[in-house]
Amino acid sequence: MPTLTINGMTVDVPQGTSILNAAKEVGVEIPHYCYHPKLSIAGNCRMCLVEVEKFPKLQTACSTVVTDGMVVRTDTDKVRKAVTGVLELMLIHHPIDCPICDQAGECGLQNYYMKFGLHKSRYALEDKIHKKKVQEIGGQIVLDAERCILCSRCVRFLEEVTGTRELHFFDRADHSEIAIFPGKPLSNNYTGNLADICPVGALTSKDFRFKCRVWFLKVFDSICTGCSKGCNVDAHHKGDILYRLKPRWNDAVNQAWMCDFGRLTYKAMNEARLLTPFVREEGARKVAAWGSLLPDVAFRLKAAADKGGPDRVAVIASPQSSNEELYLLRGLATSLLGTKNLAFTHRVAGDGFADDFLIQADKNPNSRGAVLLGIPGGAAFDALVSKIAGGGIDALLVFGDALGTLSEEETATLLAKVPFVAQVGTNEGPVSKAATAVLPSASVAERGGTFTNHAGRVQRFRFGFPPRGKARNPLEILLSLGNRLGAGWTFSGEASVFRALAESEAPFAGMSYDSIGMFGQEIKC
Amino acid sequence: MEKVLTTHFANERYRRLDTYRRYGGYEALKKAFAMTPEEIIDEVKKANLRGRGGAGFPAGVKWGFLPKDLSRPRVLVINADEGEPGTFKDRLIMSRGPHLLLEGIAISCFALRAHACWIYIRGEFAREAGIVDEAIAEAYAAGFLGKNILESGFDLDVTVHRGAGAYICGEETSLINSLEGKRGWPRLKPPFPASVGAFGLPTIVNNVETIADIPWIVTHGGETFAGLGVEKNGGTRLIGVSGAVNRPGVYELSAGVNLKEIIYHHAGGIRDGKALKAVIPGGSSTPVLRPDEIDVSYDIESMGKIGTMAGSGGVIVIPEGTCMVRSLSVLMNFYAHESCGQCTPCREGTGWLKKIVGRIEAGKGRQGDVELILDLCDNMMGRTICPLADAAVMPAQSFIWKFREEFDRHIGEQKCPYGNRF
Amino acid sequence: MSAVFSEAGRAEFERLLTRYPDRKAVILPALHLAQKEFGYVSDEAIVYIAGLVGTSPAEIEGVATFYTMYNRKPVGKYHVQICRNISCSLLGAEHLIEHVSEKLGVRPGETTPDGKFTLSTVECLGSCGTAPVMQVNDEYHENLTVESIDRILDPLP
Repeated sequence: MPTLTINGMTVDVPQGTSILNAAKEVGVEIPHYCYHPKLSIAGNCRMCLVEVEKFPKLQTACSTVVTDGMVVRTDTDKVRKAVTGVLELMLIHHPIDCPICDQAGECGLQNYYMKFGLHKSRYALEDKIHKKKVQEIGGQIVLDAERCILCSRCVRFLEEVTGTRELHFFDRADHSEIAIFPGKPLSNNYTGNLADICPVGALTSKDFRFKCRVWFLKVFDSICTGCSKGCNVDAHHKGDILYRLKPRWNDAVNQAWMCDFGRLTYKAMNEARLLTPFVREEGARKVAAWGSLLPDVAFRLKAAADKGGPDRVAVIASPQSSNEELYLLRGLATSLLGTKNLAFTHRVAGDGFADDFLIQADKNPNSRGAVLLGIPGGAAFDALVSKIAGGGIDALLVFGDALGTLSEEETATLLAKVPFVAQVGTNEGPVSKAATAVLPSASVAERGGTFTNHAGRVQRFRFGFPPRGKARNPLEILLSLGNRLGAGWTFSGEASVFRALAESEAPFAGMSYDSIGMFGQEIKC
Repeated sequence: MEKVLTTHFANERYRRLDTYRRYGGYEALKKAFAMTPEEIIDEVKKANLRGRGGAGFPAGVKWGFLPKDLSRPRVLVINADEGEPGTFKDRLIMSRGPHLLLEGIAISCFALRAHACWIYIRGEFAREAGIVDEAIAEAYAAGFLGKNILESGFDLDVTVHRGAGAYICGEETSLINSLEGKRGWPRLKPPFPASVGAFGLPTIVNNVETIADIPWIVTHGGETFAGLGVEKNGGTRLIGVSGAVNRPGVYELSAGVNLKEIIYHHAGGIRDGKALKAVIPGGSSTPVLRPDEIDVSYDIESMGKIGTMAGSGGVIVIPEGTCMVRSLSVLMNFYAHESCGQCTPCREGTGWLKKIVGRIEAGKGRQGDVELILDLCDNMMGRTICPLADAAVMPAQSFIWKFREEFDRHIGEQKCPYGNRF
Repeated sequence: MSAVFSEAGRAEFERLLTRYPDRKAVILPALHLAQKEFGYVSDEAIVYIAGLVGTSPAEIEGVATFYTMYNRKPVGKYHVQICRNISCSLLGAEHLIEHVSEKLGVRPGETTPDGKFTLSTVECLGSCGTAPVMQVNDEYHENLTVESIDRILDPLP
């Protein structure tokens, strides 16, 4: 392990560590733009210049590997002047778009200018080189070539991560410009990452454009619900509106990336939400109160089981539910209602597209969890649907907004065969249009819990903000229903449910929220 | 004085294989095959052969950087990009003595245990590329290239690769990227080409003249070659003199010839009876000299001692009555045009330098512009991936240091005293 | 207008592939070939070469626009490229550029309306000993004077 002394502090680092990364270990921030831990080293922005003893010239910290006994300084006048000098040169053609640029507040140039610049421009305004602004280049990205600092992160990403190479440098010298070839826009499923890695406002999100100033946004940890990959995300919100999802670092799952489809899954949490409990009477919706609706649902389920036997009651689980919710739901179905009619489906309308990178064919976050907790899918679901279609079910509890790939009409026809259908769901859809009673559920942003991804990794998603409208945490709904059915549950939140789950379910044995931590934990096979 | 390269250059037919052989061509290759690679490299080291492209790195030392382990094939790349303003000697070698280059390549590749060589010729030299291609075809046909050369068991393939107009491709890692089909961006070093070069293979990049010297070194021995020059700079050099002299052209002279002698004796002195104003000694990127500084040996060490460089051997002679600001403006335009754009200080700095100097020449200079240029130079020098930024800085700094009053006058009088003309 | 190499061009392209261990190394020679066959490097040529080499058009465009010799727009029948660097300037290149500009009625960077001449100023052509120098298409013309330039350009068909 070579030893580095940096600004007087000593640190041992693994062989092959760059000065830049070694400095992080001791809290020394070396400014940089072109370096990105998941991309090749470019060394072209020249911001990370540092003094290295025995080298006559300043060296780039990103590309210089620590050798044993190396002595580095980043706090000298020479380094300071070099950094300010590079920054000045980067800014001479940069348009001062801050008032209209989405990047403001999370901009590399703004940040380092405040730290290392604070200089007045010495460059004549009429000499500024102008380049093409506001270009729709495909995918989720808007390109402003004038703002670009030519750090090459985007070109490297499209070369090394997606291999699609739609962006490149054109021309030479200070007329160099990043662009697509005319007529060949971005056409891969990961374009959104370009806005993340661009340090400035050259590549920005079309979806997020002009919607909110970033300093108004709060962030919490979540998991993308777009497929069973379970990409870790940062969810950004203001109040109870979500504005965007950005990938959160997890080398075991999604490294630093997420797909374009997943990025837009936040919209479903904002739009077309079920926000008020209601019942359907004579074809019309009638608002109900939680206080009366919950006992009513419990009663109707119990009554159906008592009258015709447990086989006349059914529960359809959702692979959008958390491990904790599925655990309680299974208990409710099999122990409290005593029924074997419990199933889920992972099928959703849409193409089931998958690739060899992040995108999984299963478009649900917790199918694996459902299976591990003993809730059958596939054929069992089909059998249950047949039973329902044959008029064999008197009371049905459905989690989720759709029944597999059944259309609105097919769902209405099917559910018409069931005298009482209670739904716990988040969004308007085929089920809410046909259910007898709708219990609006908190979205994944409005509650906490865990999902098990396709590879068996259990990951936590965190509570972001209280449920909108009158929606409730489905865990609370389940506890309430369960206890009315005699469960005697004393759980106080998802953590306590998980403790119970870990104790009784073999794949989760020994797990806790602590052991899951920030990066998740794999189940025992 | 003994000539290494140009003895037969006046003979237009020397570029043909039959004439080349008549004058002893490819005998050195035969001799080389009877030596070991180590022996050849040793002769090159004894020769004190400094790279003739401009950087002057000892060729024998560079050859020694190749890895000892032969598991990865090594390659030789010839730098025939000749883009440094004031330099025009490699064109001469390729058009008049292409077989000298090819024989040098064959011997060098044998010594380096390389079986592939690409000759990167700047795109504008279409005619020269054609001549070299013809010579290559002749050499293959006669068995001096290709498989089992001269029954030695040694195989070698040589290919001409044309550039397409970029001065930066004269920098060896930029050249390698250009050879690989990319934009001519220089690479970070380390790794150096000797460990990771063209197509990821251990690569030696050498200038045309450097390799063309090899046959003579093998024939006459490294020490003899060294003796033609001076202590740390052996052999002869092809020195190009251009600008306001009576006899511009390429002169093959000892590496230790006197610079004043080059200009006044060989190149016939300043034309039109004018006095000398300035000399850019080694290609446009080298610090300019005043007339009182040119009585100096042109070898690499001596030039370094007076704060400039022998560089690529291109002596540019500037006569009295020339506007130094306008001259600098021409050079700043050049570097701004040729910057590859990869790294910030060069990309933005060369453009800014061009604008400031252009403004001063146009009579619109501002107080503080000269200080701004010098400050900008400080922020560029030594801060970049390759030395193009330094190459722009050295003329800018040296012109200002040695001809400051001309810049002050342009700014003070808000006009060019020479009427904005050369 | 589509861009596809002629049979001879295609044969040359295939031959070039054998001279390098990596397919992408043919990009520069292929662009020279395209310029020869199509007169200039058109958008279609870029897409065509990208397909032949197996990469994106953006990457080929990035290479084509880096080097000055690849013309992304058509040039005149005769591309008159006059050096404006230091040695040529010291020996009167400015004057020659003005002369040709007036003679042809175009500024550097422009093409005559009949499409016969494009005038450009270029950087060092590597023949400083015979300055002033210009290149017309592939040919060098050295030791230029106003008279010698006229003698070179006037007879061009």
